[in-house]
Amino acid sequence: MSRVARALIAHEFLERLRDRWVIVISVLFAALASAVGLYGRAAEAHASALTGPSLVTLASLLVPLVALVLGHDAIVGERERNTLGLLFSLPVGRLEVVVAKFLGRGLALGLAVGLGLAAAMFAAGPGQAQVLAQLILPTLLLGLSFVSFGMLISAVTTRQVTAASLVVVTWFGLVFFYDLGVLALLIATDGAVSQQVVAGLVAANPAGLYRIVLMDRLAGPEVLAGLGLTAQLPGALGQAAIWAGWIVGPLLLSGAALRAQKVAK
Amino acid sequence: MKRLELRDVTVKFGAVHALAGVTLELSAGEVLMLVGPNGAGKSTLMSVLLGLVRPDHGELRVDGQVRSLRGDGIKHFVGYLPEAVAFSDSLTGRQVLRFFAWARGASSKRIDVVLERVGLTHAAGRSVRGYSRGMRQRLGVGVAILSEPELLILDEPTGGLDQEGLTVLWSVLEEWRDEGRTVLLASHDLALLERRVARICLMSNGRVKAEGTPDALRLRAGLPHRVNFELRECAAERVSELLDALTELGLAPSEVVEQRCFVDVAPDGLLPLMAAQARFPDAVAQLRVLEPQLDQIYERLLAEESPS
Repeated sequence: MSRVARALIAHEFLERLRDRWVIVISVLFAALASAVGLYGRAAEAHASALTGPSLVTLASLLVPLVALVLGHDAIVGERERNTLGLLFSLPVGRLEVVVAKFLGRGLALGLAVGLGLAAAMFAAGPGQAQVLAQLILPTLLLGLSFVSFGMLISAVTTRQVTAASLVVVTWFGLVFFYDLGVLALLIATDGAVSQQVVAGLVAANPAGLYRIVLMDRLAGPEVLAGLGLTAQLPGALGQAAIWAGWIVGPLLLSGAALRAQKVAK
Repeated sequence: MKRLELRDVTVKFGAVHALAGVTLELSAGEVLMLVGPNGAGKSTLMSVLLGLVRPDHGELRVDGQVRSLRGDGIKHFVGYLPEAVAFSDSLTGRQVLRFFAWARGASSKRIDVVLERVGLTHAAGRSVRGYSRGMRQRLGVGVAILSEPELLILDEPTGGLDQEGLTVLWSVLEEWRDEGRTVLLASHDLALLERRVARICLMSNGRVKAEGTPDALRLRAGLPHRVNFELRECAAERVSELLDALTELGLAPSEVVEQRCFVDVAPDGLLPLMAAQARFPDAVAQLRVLEPQLDQIYERLLAEESPS
């Protein structure tokens, strides 16, 4: 990795830490996660069944939004501020800029997620720490995949307001309506679609993968069965492939989109 | 870098030729100014050099070696000041310079030197949001010179600069020239920059229309010099004889106002005019020759028909 890319990672990370919006949303996530932790702690005997799944629900809603917002102005924001030309005049490739910005923003997201989960662990008490620790890696992967998608939005748009609109559409689409779409498919086909296909479709969406894998792990398969999802979930390798695809794919597409643009400023 | 050559560079945006086969050479220690109307291709040419615009055709050579116009090209030894330079508003001037120092491998000591050089030491800790346009421009100059690059590319460097900022800019241009480094700049401030550049490249419609030293372009434009005779208080017939003598030479005064007389004369008419006025020492107190201004030359050359 070039010197410029290393400098850009540090620059992006530090600039995000100064970003008031990122600070506010991180504090909000930490506060809500703490509230969930305290709620679970109050439930005592049912703490395990409440805290983990509740945090999964919270994180599956909030983390994609934070991540998309973190990624969406990475390129288009610079373009609109007229700072992109100066950045690309440095000896650095376009894909390298995308990756460096992703890593810098991903680090900031990691810090926000880490602080939020740490606050939840602290609030939930020592008995829940081990349970909640299982959330760390999947939540980071969920966040990184949405930062990456936000970067793609940023690379293919020319105005920040368009990128922000696409963020809202993406968030509603992948976090809310995707599962409804799968449900609609089931209804439309009168159940002709196999459980395996349904599980595959749900798992193909990073928000869905995050929810079903962690619900399966924290609340048990009976909870998923109660939702009508009885098929086998993707294995560790399959999950890794889905996460990798969602993280690396949009970055490569962003780099390709920037390379295809005749004017990079 | 001793020599940089761009050959036959063409950039098309749809049906429009932003650059149409431009060839340009730059030598070490040279300050070259691109001039031309808006849309002439000046910024596009700079962007091609910086790898910001991908040309449809063309070649870049540095000291005879072909360099890619799509990859890093010459980015390792270039400092760039874009037109209407901007920075992230949340950063301070020092933070902006620190990032570019990291990226360019310049020392942190250099940041203080540059801040001092561009006169922003007092504002280094302030957010760029509160900077005036001139201060941003000075910070942009600071970013460009931070790594002491061999080639400076400055797009409209005088924009927004006050006298103090212009003094900084002139000192940078002099330093780069004196140390054998190169400057390529584009500007509309012809009068300000005329005496500070070695060569001028006049562009129009994506082509190089004329190129040369300011004097060479002056000669090529063939614009008349304006000669101003300051007349003594003497007998009216002596003044009349002087005017007759000038008229006989085909140099009829274009304007006679009180004790002054103006004659427009082509460069090759200057010697006969001097000789004529020497015969009237009792009538002529002083004689001043005004060269055509660069903006007049620019307009004349632009008005010339493009070569087919």
